[in-house]
Amino acid sequence: MRVVIVGGGEIGFSLAQALSAQHDVVVVDQKSSVADRFERLDVQFLQGTGTSSDVLQRASVDKADVFVACTGLDEVNIVACALANQVASPRTFCFVSRQDFVEMPAEQKGLARFGIDRIIWPEAQLAADIERIIGAPGALDAEVFADGAIRLLEYQLDAGASVIARPIADLHFPAGSLLVAVRRGESFFIPRGDSQLASGDRIVVMGTPDALQDVRRRLLGGTDERRQRVTIIGGGDVGFRLAERLEDSMDVVVIERSEERGALIAGRLRRTLVLAGDGTDLELLEAEDIGRSDVLVSVIDNDERNLLASLLARQLGVRRVITRVGRQANLRLFERVGIDVAISARGAAVASALNQIEGGTARLLALVEQGAGSILELQVPADYAARALRDMAPPRESIVGAILRGSQAIVPRGHDRIEPGDRLLVFVTKAAADRVRDFFTGARA
Amino acid sequence: MRLPVILYITGVLVRLFAATFLPAVLIAVVYREWADLAGFLAALVLTFASGAGLLRVAGAAAGRASEHMRRVEGLACVAVTWLLVAHLAAVPYAFAGLGLIDALFEAMSGLTTTGATIFVDFSAYGRSIYFWRAMTQWIGGMGVIALFVAVLPRLAIGGRELFFAEAPGPEEEKLTPQLRHTALALWQVYAGLTVLQVLALVMAGMSVFDAACHAMTTLAAGGFSPHPLSIAGYQSATVEWIIVAFMFVAGANFALQYRALRGNRTALFKDEEFRAYTAVVLVATAALALFLVRDGLAPWEALRHGVFQVVSILTTTGYASTDFQLWSDQAKMVLFLLMFIGGCAGSAGGGPKVVRHVLMARYTLRELTRTLHPRAVLPVKLGGRVVPEPILRSVQVFMLFYLLSFSVGVAIVVALGADLITGITATIACLGNIGPGFDAVGPMANFAGLHPVSKVVLTLLMWIGRLEVLTVLVFFRTEPWRSARWSAT
Repeated sequence: MRVVIVGGGEIGFSLAQALSAQHDVVVVDQKSSVADRFERLDVQFLQGTGTSSDVLQRASVDKADVFVACTGLDEVNIVACALANQVASPRTFCFVSRQDFVEMPAEQKGLARFGIDRIIWPEAQLAADIERIIGAPGALDAEVFADGAIRLLEYQLDAGASVIARPIADLHFPAGSLLVAVRRGESFFIPRGDSQLASGDRIVVMGTPDALQDVRRRLLGGTDERRQRVTIIGGGDVGFRLAERLEDSMDVVVIERSEERGALIAGRLRRTLVLAGDGTDLELLEAEDIGRSDVLVSVIDNDERNLLASLLARQLGVRRVITRVGRQANLRLFERVGIDVAISARGAAVASALNQIEGGTARLLALVEQGAGSILELQVPADYAARALRDMAPPRESIVGAILRGSQAIVPRGHDRIEPGDRLLVFVTKAAADRVRDFFTGARA
Repeated sequence: MRLPVILYITGVLVRLFAATFLPAVLIAVVYREWADLAGFLAALVLTFASGAGLLRVAGAAAGRASEHMRRVEGLACVAVTWLLVAHLAAVPYAFAGLGLIDALFEAMSGLTTTGATIFVDFSAYGRSIYFWRAMTQWIGGMGVIALFVAVLPRLAIGGRELFFAEAPGPEEEKLTPQLRHTALALWQVYAGLTVLQVLALVMAGMSVFDAACHAMTTLAAGGFSPHPLSIAGYQSATVEWIIVAFMFVAGANFALQYRALRGNRTALFKDEEFRAYTAVVLVATAALALFLVRDGLAPWEALRHGVFQVVSILTTTGYASTDFQLWSDQAKMVLFLLMFIGGCAGSAGGGPKVVRHVLMARYTLRELTRTLHPRAVLPVKLGGRVVPEPILRSVQVFMLFYLLSFSVGVAIVVALGADLITGITATIACLGNIGPGFDAVGPMANFAGLHPVSKVVLTLLMWIGRLEVLTVLVFFRTEPWRSARWSAT
């Protein structure tokens, strides 16, 4: 496949990196300074603007199957897609950051007029991701699959956890739940029955919502049913959308620096308390008793201030701190200095773009621990010979988290069988993704 | 403030007002009430002559200049027109034998849809007089100026200032891009509902004449009745329920009703003011009915009179289905509190309006929150939309001046000899355009016994209340007068 990517920022780079192994990728960006980064990938780099038909001609858009516009400017992305669509008819993916484009009247027609096949809105996906994490008390990450029938949660174990220092086989996790992965320091592995958990481990559990309730109780003790207090620092697109989604079920406070923006979002939110002030203003944080928040989400558009605000909140005693990270390189850094969850708008958006570009028998549903692991959805072919899980020898770097059969969702044990037509949710580590796909779908690349 | 412009517009409006005497002339002829006919004809001629005279004085240049009316001129036109028209509407009463102060009181009470009466002996007046009384309320209910904006294309441009200066409620909203069509649409709803009520009352057994008089005064939230005992005189539960329904409609926003009729079925129920209005009716009715049951009324009777009196007072109509002067103080207290609320903005009702109370409550809550969170951004919202600060400020100022006018009125009326309850309720009944009060001005009594100066003050309060206080009070400042000049440019 030939893929043309306009925009060589973080998103463009992640996409190029993921696609370059199997496809012809051309990257267009105005800044020559980003060229170096792409030189190291096996891609073609063109300097120029995506809104020039001349440049697009040179990128041979006419032969492209897929066209992705992911510059930082919504208007540029839309115009680029429109131009590409005039030259040829590739599938076009347009990244936007503002609501007004997404909610164009009669959505499909509005997009079609601009020659856009798919709109991808990273900020909205980020807000949805953060909402899921907040909705799972104590968790560091949360994903939902199969319309909520299967969930994935990530927890950090502290020294007092009852599950520490015993073989996993003896822990008797509740039926319907499955421990799929452990991160310990820099290493990331799929545990076996004889593995032991240690204090400080981050563990990833999959299962049905009910079973995961039990897991949570065992890991964190009694449940706490009162309304959560959530403080959001930064009332931009992500902060506003997040507040909008949370305000009915939680007590939400938004701290926004710009008076004007504050007035705008206060007018559109119904129950949220909007404060005009700086999220790094200690006096304000103390006066408003931010330390008593259950969760603090810092989603300012600046990594340094985000980090400062988050660390201040941690000092004030906030139990869970979730921070937006702009530069991918900062992800690990943030978590190392004590941020519970560092999350980037790009990860989820890139994953969903890749999914739609690649399509086929395997779909990437979610990335875990910044891509160290991922959840794939695999379609078992109709000619597959049904077998029980324990009779198979799948790659060691994978584990079947759930079998979706019709409307049923099964969290499998060894005796469960995989039948033709099933869909599998498989957890794999980064290195093994391709091998796992081939193993279950019988494809030979 | 260009005086010729004000005189010109006022002249146009007054001259047109002459036409409103025609139906009464017709009624006087039909019932062969020749003495009253002379009064109506005299009023008609006098009105037309005053209008023409004003136009002559203003001069032709003022006509051209009036297309660019300034805000203060618009306010002045509205205030002056209402005052002048009330004097002219009083002419037939004077011919029927009322003193000048009493005639003016009755006329102003009609046009402002107050419904407070000075009539002592109801048998002393002809049918055409009762028709005229009802007619003044009907015109005043939707607004004298709204009527003329609807029929006079010439007022369409400068009319904007006039229209909103007269329209009740803090918000300016047009239904259609053209003001004239908005005014026309509102009058259509209004007239349609009136016809509907006449039919309903006739079917309930009322005579056509009485039905017409009551329909006109119900939809205007006025409260004049040709019957000396008001609605209580008909002793019919059916009539009462019909009137309750139409009073409730008259107290709701006509613009919303227009939208609802136009197919936006949920417009009314989504409106926060309408919901608050309905809630007030329900809660007050429940409270009043409970007090009445405690006082010994049968539950069904308590509910019937409770809901009638609550809706009547809240919408500032002022009909009585029974002599509530005889009720206990607890029951009267419920009605007294309702006198300070009024109908919805954009309705025919008077008073401070439900929406202003809603906004004041939210404003107060906001200031309480602000003491807890000094840095909070706290917009006041209505129906999900942010209410701009200038409107909030004008609502506060309105409330302040409303209470100030009330206090001054009470002081004067009581100082001139009325007892305290009479003074207080007479003042709020006139300022809020309600009609009856308690004690000496109770539902079966009248305002004739008050001191003449009190009557003049109450007449002015009706005028101030109908024009929503600020339109009138702004001319108590010297600034508009200092800028007043005798030139059309």
